Amino acid sequence: MLWYKGWLETRFRLLFVLGMTAFLLSLQRSIHINTVPSPHAGAAVLSATKRANEIILGSITFAEAIPLIMVCAMLAGAGIATQPSFQASKGVHGSSLFTCSLPASRLRLLTVRATVGWLESMLVIVFLCTGSWFLSPLLSTVTTPLAMAQYAATLIACGSMLYCLSVLLATFLDDQWRTWGTMLAAGAMYWISHHASLPAAIDVVQAVGKGSPIIAHTVPWSAMAFAVVLAAAFFFAALKVVQSREY
Amino acid sequence: MTDLIIETSQLTKSFKDKHALRGLDLRVPTGSIFGFLGRNGAGKTTTIKTLMGLLHSDSGSAQVFGIPVADADRAIQIRRRIGFVTEDKELYPYMTVGQIIAFTRPFFPKWRADLERRYLDMFELPPKQRIPCLSKGMRSKLMLLLAICRGADLLILDEPTDGLDPAAIEDVLRELVAIAASSEVTMFFSSHQLSEVDRIADHIGIIDRGKMIVTGSLDDLKANYQRLQIVLGDSAQPPTRWPEGVESVRQEGRVVSLLASHNADAIAAEAHSIPGATVEQFPVTLKEIFLEHVRSN
Repeated sequence: MLWYKGWLETRFRLLFVLGMTAFLLSLQRSIHINTVPSPHAGAAVLSATKRANEIILGSITFAEAIPLIMVCAMLAGAGIATQPSFQASKGVHGSSLFTCSLPASRLRLLTVRATVGWLESMLVIVFLCTGSWFLSPLLSTVTTPLAMAQYAATLIACGSMLYCLSVLLATFLDDQWRTWGTMLAAGAMYWISHHASLPAAIDVVQAVGKGSPIIAHTVPWSAMAFAVVLAAAFFFAALKVVQSREY
Repeated sequence: MTDLIIETSQLTKSFKDKHALRGLDLRVPTGSIFGFLGRNGAGKTTTIKTLMGLLHSDSGSAQVFGIPVADADRAIQIRRRIGFVTEDKELYPYMTVGQIIAFTRPFFPKWRADLERRYLDMFELPPKQRIPCLSKGMRSKLMLLLAICRGADLLILDEPTDGLDPAAIEDVLRELVAIAASSEVTMFFSSHQLSEVDRIADHIGIIDRGKMIVTGSLDDLKANYQRLQIVLGDSAQPPTRWPEGVESVRQEGRVVSLLASHNADAIAAEAHSIPGATVEQFPVTLKEIFLEHVRSN
């Protein structure tokens, strides 16, 4: 029944994120609709189009990061810190007392809740990638379904890191602060990726951008593995916080 | 030796520089209706949260059903056998009455479907009503339903009648007594309402500043506690030392009022030995016992 609770908690947030994603996809279609080169175009046109397409693909990956961050920020924390806004620090824990009185370990409570949000996040990513594939003529021209599936897998692996960071923040921050914290962390990751010349093996931002399977045509395995390891570490830290937490 | 369902020994808990529990010794006999009394901030909710594993004690020990509450894995067994009503009566705002019952039911193998139907009807709880639309009193009733229907061996109720109107309080108290009488449930409840405790409890504990200052069977306490009123003769003075058992002495003019926790007859004999004194003994109420102790502590 914890799955049922998790679903009831997040269903409207999920619908909102899916709606926003659909809106972004519709924008993507209107932007990229005329970018497919004519088969009869000259070399100069093809070269210019290729360059333009790289920029557009970069913008697609950047645009697809927005729902990814949104989904992590919105779906990760709900229900883990089930307290009214800005009240936990004042000792008001809302329905957490009722939840913690149930015969379920905190490991189970956290795992089920985080998994519900993670599955929903993955649904959004799959929706995003599938929508992009069908709505963007450019993608279906310059990439393959396999590359798109690899891109989705990269988003899932790298998104899991941000998601688990958001779960960790949810264990000690109020919902509003957690949302801002997740977005701030995403911004910091973007800034570090562009200013700190990280090795590609640990640059998860590059892995979903320039280094992604739809642009670089290779799967960024090491960055994906790094993201998954970090996600596990964040989740473990979240578990430790929840287990030691007092209500 | 009485079988104890809750037992704490020298339990301490501090929040920063505030000492909430200072060596609490609590013993709740199995099968009792135990009224847990104390002023605001005395440590009642901290005790209850510690028993439920929501707070971790700094030192001392606490056991429920003989299982240490600090053992997180085994504490699940404790919670499976406990019905709990929280102080703030907060439930999930995104659920309806029916949904939260459906959610809670599978956690408890001994769920009482018969009581569920009975209390839905008695408390007039509409299953399709969303929880935020319920009044505080209705939320209290819903929490009681969720606690009682668990088929628990122990009900821990933190201010269970808070927010209820007098008629609902009457219904709830009657049901609590009926449940305790019919199903061998132990009931541990905190309350500010001394009249409620006096009416349904058979054991009480009074906590003040994190320490248990009075505990025992309510009948024994009422039998042992007595107020002695001594009217002194014109030039007589009360003794400077009274026999053991005197909890407080108050003198207004020639009238000396004593509260005895035990040994009342020996104290009365001592009072009778004062030349010209007249002595009367009165039974005391729970309210008097409570007020006398918390004022003098």
